[in-house]
Amino acid sequence: MKIAVVQFPGTNCEHETLVAVKAVGMDGEVFRWNRPAEELCGFDGFVIPGGFSYQDRVRAGAIASKEPVMETLHEEAEKGKPIIGICNGFQILVESGLLPGTGRLDMALAQNVMITGGRIVRRGYYCDWIHLRHEAEAGRCCGSFLMGVGTVLQIPIAHGEGNLVTTTPGLIERLNEEDQVVFRYCDSSGEEGSEFPVNVNGSTESIAGICNPEGNVLGMMPHPERAFFPRQLSSFNSGMKEGEAGPGRLVFESMKRYIEVRA
Amino acid sequence: MICNIRVWLKIPDAEAATVKNTLVRRMGFGDQLRDVKKERLFSIDVDSGEGASLARSFVRELVNENKESHKVSFDELKFEGGYVPVKVSLHIEDGEAISIRDRLRNRLGIKGVREVRKATVWKLYLLDPQPETLARKIAEGLLINPHKDSYEIMG
Repeated sequence: MKIAVVQFPGTNCEHETLVAVKAVGMDGEVFRWNRPAEELCGFDGFVIPGGFSYQDRVRAGAIASKEPVMETLHEEAEKGKPIIGICNGFQILVESGLLPGTGRLDMALAQNVMITGGRIVRRGYYCDWIHLRHEAEAGRCCGSFLMGVGTVLQIPIAHGEGNLVTTTPGLIERLNEEDQVVFRYCDSSGEEGSEFPVNVNGSTESIAGICNPEGNVLGMMPHPERAFFPRQLSSFNSGMKEGEAGPGRLVFESMKRYIEVRA
Repeated sequence: MICNIRVWLKIPDAEAATVKNTLVRRMGFGDQLRDVKKERLFSIDVDSGEGASLARSFVRELVNENKESHKVSFDELKFEGGYVPVKVSLHIEDGEAISIRDRLRNRLGIKGVREVRKATVWKLYLLDPQPETLARKIAEGLLINPHKDSYEIMG
């Protein structure tokens, strides 16, 4: 079971993402964007990690989405192979049309807008530990295959553009109806809130992660690879022992299980 | 009165180079595209004051003259010939423009600043009999995400 961690110029989370992939028992390697794209066909799954591909030139994810490796990823996604985009990876998947999955540019991840009491209190880049609630049925999506509805994860975010906006009529309704909303921002008890700090970036309906209709492509703004080992966790989980699973591990274990079930 | 400040880099513009490279090498515009340049555009709506003096204050705040050049015009915005100017701006709320407006009002004390609009102007040097059609194709293919950006071909 071999995973390609796809690296563009400016990607900066490929190392810890690869460590997470290997730590759940999958094989993997960093796959640079300028390798022959057809070599991607030899992999069983793909992760596009976070960072600032092409320095976010034009807008986050726009330039990377035009690279030949993305065309090949479209083809691999059609075969049902799993793809997980984390943070900038999510932005690239949106810009390339792999999410929400029509092949078109159906939405944008715009600049963060933090609203409290109806007032904008802050804009732009923000990093913190946040809570996520898993919304989809277990088995619906490759990156949350092992999570039940209502599972709450505490995971860090670090981005300036994660505010899901769309002018596509009916898109949000369709994402809800088709069970494509995988994660929403919530508080520690799993309750949703429309304002900062619960909804950390002003995203429509507090959406933090979505999948395509088939469930094999997931994009999420939070960084599961940064909440994988107990040593990475903040003081709230200081009671955890080395060897115990951090909340982000579930995402990578889910991917592994998804591939095993499909095989 | 609208004070338009066009700002461009004196040093090589890596973002414009990346856009050109992507259009040529990844999107098949190699035969039709000669060059791409980029400017930032600030359009500041002020209700009173002496134009030249206000413009100097705005430029001091918005332009880093160590690496940037600029051109100021009032009300009318004119571009030189030889390229198609494509103005891209947010159609959702532009937080940076609001921050600039508040900065000009509060730091420079220019209470007459009513609104600041910010845009990027992509200057497309095209080799095509129908440059505007091609410019629209390039804008919609790369320069904007229609869910947050809008564009205008500046005549």
